Amino acid sequence: MGRMAVVEVAELTKTFVVPEREAGLRASIKALVRRKHREVHAVEEISFEIGEGEVVGFLGPNGAGKTTTLKMLSGLLYPTSGEARVLGHVPSKRERDFLRRITLVMGNRNQLQWDLPALDSFELNRAIYRIRRSDFTPLRDELIGLLDVGDLVRKPVRNLSLGERMKVEIVGSLLHRPQVLFLDEPTIGLDVTMQKRIRSFVADYNRRYGATVLLTSHYMADVVALCRRVVVIHHGRILYDGDLARLGAEFAAYKTIAVDLLDGAVSLEAYGEVVEREGDRVVLRVPKEETARVTGRLLVEQKIADLTVHDPPIEDVIELVFAEPK
Amino acid sequence: MSAARVAWLFLKVGVLNELQYRVNFVVQLFQSLIQVGTGLAVLALVYSHTDELNGWSESELLTVLGIQILLGGAIRAAVQPNMVQLMEDVREGTLDYALTKPEDAQLLVSVRQFRIWQLTDLVSGAILVAVGLGGVERSVGPLDAIAFGAALSLGGVMIYCFWLLITTGSFWIVRMEHVLELFEGVYQTGRWPVGVYPLWLRYTVTFLVPIAFAVTVPAEAMTSRLDAGTLALSFAFGTALFAFTRWFWRFGLRHYSGASA
Repeated sequence: MGRMAVVEVAELTKTFVVPEREAGLRASIKALVRRKHREVHAVEEISFEIGEGEVVGFLGPNGAGKTTTLKMLSGLLYPTSGEARVLGHVPSKRERDFLRRITLVMGNRNQLQWDLPALDSFELNRAIYRIRRSDFTPLRDELIGLLDVGDLVRKPVRNLSLGERMKVEIVGSLLHRPQVLFLDEPTIGLDVTMQKRIRSFVADYNRRYGATVLLTSHYMADVVALCRRVVVIHHGRILYDGDLARLGAEFAAYKTIAVDLLDGAVSLEAYGEVVEREGDRVVLRVPKEETARVTGRLLVEQKIADLTVHDPPIEDVIELVFAEPK
Repeated sequence: MSAARVAWLFLKVGVLNELQYRVNFVVQLFQSLIQVGTGLAVLALVYSHTDELNGWSESELLTVLGIQILLGGAIRAAVQPNMVQLMEDVREGTLDYALTKPEDAQLLVSVRQFRIWQLTDLVSGAILVAVGLGGVERSVGPLDAIAFGAALSLGGVMIYCFWLLITTGSFWIVRMEHVLELFEGVYQTGRWPVGVYPLWLRYTVTFLVPIAFAVTVPAEAMTSRLDAGTLALSFAFGTALFAFTRWFWRFGLRHYSGASA
């Protein structure tokens, strides 16, 4: 890579101690007297680096430790052990120089003044981040233009739809031109058009300002569209860190072979699992190591108009990864 | 200086927010009148039986009542709503946003809300103070006025500290709302000078919940009975309490884990 590391994480660990009890009244009363605690290892000794200007997707099922990691990187949580550095700062110290250069966007929470037009909240952010008027106004108007929210910023936030609110939120969180963006589920609950809009905006912002982006999302489409590199986290540990494209090769146990037959009547059950059949087109699923052999046999033994081999869709691969026991 | 600017902007936004709910003004005015009315009725009742209470005349006690109402209005306008919001934010995890801002977190959580209509109490309290002082024989000198201002500010700071200490507790104990009602109850003791209470209660409302410092001490200043020692004690206690509160707040922040997404 050769680029300067903006985010450096070394054996970062976060353990929560949570009270635990059985359901029911009896257990509740017992818990009043003697509380049982359990340690939850939200994040366990994870290490990775993110270079300047990189857009990295953080993948994992609910409770995998994505948000906990993001919160440690943005200075909200103190790590139990290990080390994190963002832009050379230790996040948990919450130094102003650090906070002025990052932003955190959480898709399920809002920070704008509920009863006021977003423009008023933007002014508050201008004061908090000490942005000069001459820097503030052009950037604000540029962001408003990019996300096409010119009409929305003048309406009270409570009157906006979820998607509109999210766009306005994003404008608010980028007014100080942060160099590092932590985006936690920025498109959650939004319709497809709105998701696309936000995606292309993030890509645009990354290009224009060379900002580093760490993104978590449930929607694979977000990750596929934005991130060349993904970090897959499960049960608080990193399972994979590398090119999104290679994730399939690494984890998928099978490939799919799509065959266009000249004679659609023949059965191909003998070659592999038939997952789709439509007229003369048949899609087979075969174990990865047998792909070459099955392809060879098909070409020799059947009359074939066309044949293509695919990696399985990334959603399926992810599902497969998380289905594996710890 | 820039911190003051941030506080000022939040105040403005708070006012803008409140202006949208103009009905609140009428409701608040009505509440304020009831509060003043009952206070006056009780005072009249007490002084129909006696000429002075523990050395305080009726006019002087009117001043005490005025200060209590005035400060109560200020607390409900500026302190209480912020602390209630803080409790909510801790429970719902929205405090995250305040903590990722490059501004002192304590300042931010203390200035985000402002209930301007509560200031009706500030006005009615001030009127009571003025009327009360009109009935006092000795006139109020400039030194008394300065001492009053200092004592009242210190008292306000102490009440704020008390609130923030309790609210910081929500980092560990999630439900703190009942504290709100508890405070309202205890605050009513401020209508009478602390001298009238038994010793244990006097200590409670002086050092545990610093109402004596906030109401009685300023009233003593206005009625020329404040000695320098009490004011110095108020200053020392206020400073110590503020320092402790700040430490406790930071300690609490370290334990904040945020509501999970």
